[in-house]
Amino acid sequence: MAQMWITMGPQHPMTHGLWTLRVKVDGETVVDTDPELGFIHRGVEKICEARNYTQITPYCDRLCYASAMTWAQSYVYAAENLLDAEVPERAEYIRLIAVEMQRVASHLMWLGAYCPDVGNLTVFVYCIRDREMFLDLLQELGGSRMHYNYPRIGGVKRDLPMGFAARARAKIELFLQRMKEYEMFLDESTIFLVRTQGVGYCTAEDMVNAGVTGPNLRAGGVNYDVRWAHPYSVYDQVDWTASVEKPTSVKGADCYDRYRVRMTEMIESCRMILDALDKIPGGAETHYEKEDPMIYKKAPIRAPEGTTGFHHFEDSRGESMFYLVGGGGKKGRGEYPYRISIRSPMFITIPFVAKTMIGYKVADIPAIMGSFDPCIGETDR
Amino acid sequence: MDSISSEQNQNATKEFVSFIEERFGGTGITAEPVAHRSGKKFEFLRVLCPPKHWLGLAKWLCFERGVNHCSMITGVHYPENYQYGESQPAISPGNPEKGWEVTVHLMRMPVKNPPVGKAYVLRPSKLAPEEIPLEIEVNIYLPQTDTPEVDSVQSIWEGADWNEKETWDLVGIKFKNHDNMMRVLNPHDSPAGFHPLQKQHKIRYNDHFEMYDDPQGFGRKPIDVGKTK
Repeated sequence: MAQMWITMGPQHPMTHGLWTLRVKVDGETVVDTDPELGFIHRGVEKICEARNYTQITPYCDRLCYASAMTWAQSYVYAAENLLDAEVPERAEYIRLIAVEMQRVASHLMWLGAYCPDVGNLTVFVYCIRDREMFLDLLQELGGSRMHYNYPRIGGVKRDLPMGFAARARAKIELFLQRMKEYEMFLDESTIFLVRTQGVGYCTAEDMVNAGVTGPNLRAGGVNYDVRWAHPYSVYDQVDWTASVEKPTSVKGADCYDRYRVRMTEMIESCRMILDALDKIPGGAETHYEKEDPMIYKKAPIRAPEGTTGFHHFEDSRGESMFYLVGGGGKKGRGEYPYRISIRSPMFITIPFVAKTMIGYKVADIPAIMGSFDPCIGETDR
Repeated sequence: MDSISSEQNQNATKEFVSFIEERFGGTGITAEPVAHRSGKKFEFLRVLCPPKHWLGLAKWLCFERGVNHCSMITGVHYPENYQYGESQPAISPGNPEKGWEVTVHLMRMPVKNPPVGKAYVLRPSKLAPEEIPLEIEVNIYLPQTDTPEVDSVQSIWEGADWNEKETWDLVGIKFKNHDNMMRVLNPHDSPAGFHPLQKQHKIRYNDHFEMYDDPQGFGRKPIDVGKTK
């Protein structure tokens, strides 16, 4: 049969954003793919060369609309390495709580977007309902629903509000009960299983060589996680385990494994939040004033020429990283970064997924692509 | 959950430095353990590599030392007469050996394919010395030139492919022997030679450098300044 190129996107629902996948098909079989990115490239790296270190945080929030807190924190940790800043322990606990809530919200957004892809629209509504609970909690911290601008270099903007811990515990308890509903919805749905099982195989070693990390790698059967491998924050003090899946094929993880690993990761994040609320120094029900030494320590605002700083961070989609070179700005005073470089996990993953789907049918493309959780805001930067 | 301890990290970096010195001593490749300045102050490995040895070093790291993950490749432009706005002194005045810098972040990850139906669960405190996760930063300095070039490592780490495409697209560093180099973030019909993160491209606001100095544009000069009598 004649082969031909067809274009999926930029408006195709499979894309979960704004990009194009050109697919070469032989009948119904995919024989070649060619992803095209850059539709929403905003030049964040260039803009940040004329902003001081505090002004950059909101730009990093806007890298990913589903997971703003993780990106802002990813930047802040790198900037702390560059500027030689110290963070009080209570602030680290608050950051951990905030980022794990964001991880749950992001995974719920993924589940909500993925299930309609594979023919289950109902779950979308429930996921958005539950995501709302976590967005409300994050709104209490940062003051807005999506772009919080919450972490500061050297601490956090505000302490936990009064009553936050009680509300968080109640909501998480409710959410953990609802997780069972999701599992009933999906693990017992023939349509969901038929669409996700046995498609999109890739092995752990291939993934790590191609730069795919995070939940996608853990679905391949290895519990590698930046949070214990290159420990930061207080992840070594709270109770959690890195979630991992057991692939049932020599070909590695399929879409179902990636779904399962995200489900267990949400439960682990909830465990972490509950444990952190118990262990937080100063008590979760205490409210410290802004810029109290318990939650904020003043950091230098200038980095001299020749200094660099970077930090590997476990984003909800994989390992994100910021690399900062100090010494930019007027007259070499160093209040701006000379160069800021962003490692987006999805920018590396999308070309790999495009290769992965060769050999499957055209109808499997949304199931495979969606299972990797693409986010184009961070990809195009 | 238990995590990698500071001693494990220090021993791993120290061991790796001795490996590099043993293999590459005298070639100009130097390695030193550097501590992060914040947080838990863990160490990473900073390797300085002359451009001609980069491919050899990369092959050795990947195939003999298990550095299996290429996290990021990025470039920095240090022009000879860098000026930010008007009448600013250069940041790296006239360093002929450091016109460009390619920075590669690599990681050693203890990742293996698990047997079917099982998970390969790593316990941080029980990892063998050669399995301890490691961060490596490789700095490659290129001399002042209009056509910076470095070897591509696309064939070694698949993940390096799109990182190199991005670095060429935004910074303009050419990767020798890279297959299928193309624009990825800029439009495909961008003019040849346009690489926006090079320092001759200023962030400007209606011909005024650095919009934060003058957000309302009161200090803005007319377009024909210097051209009229």
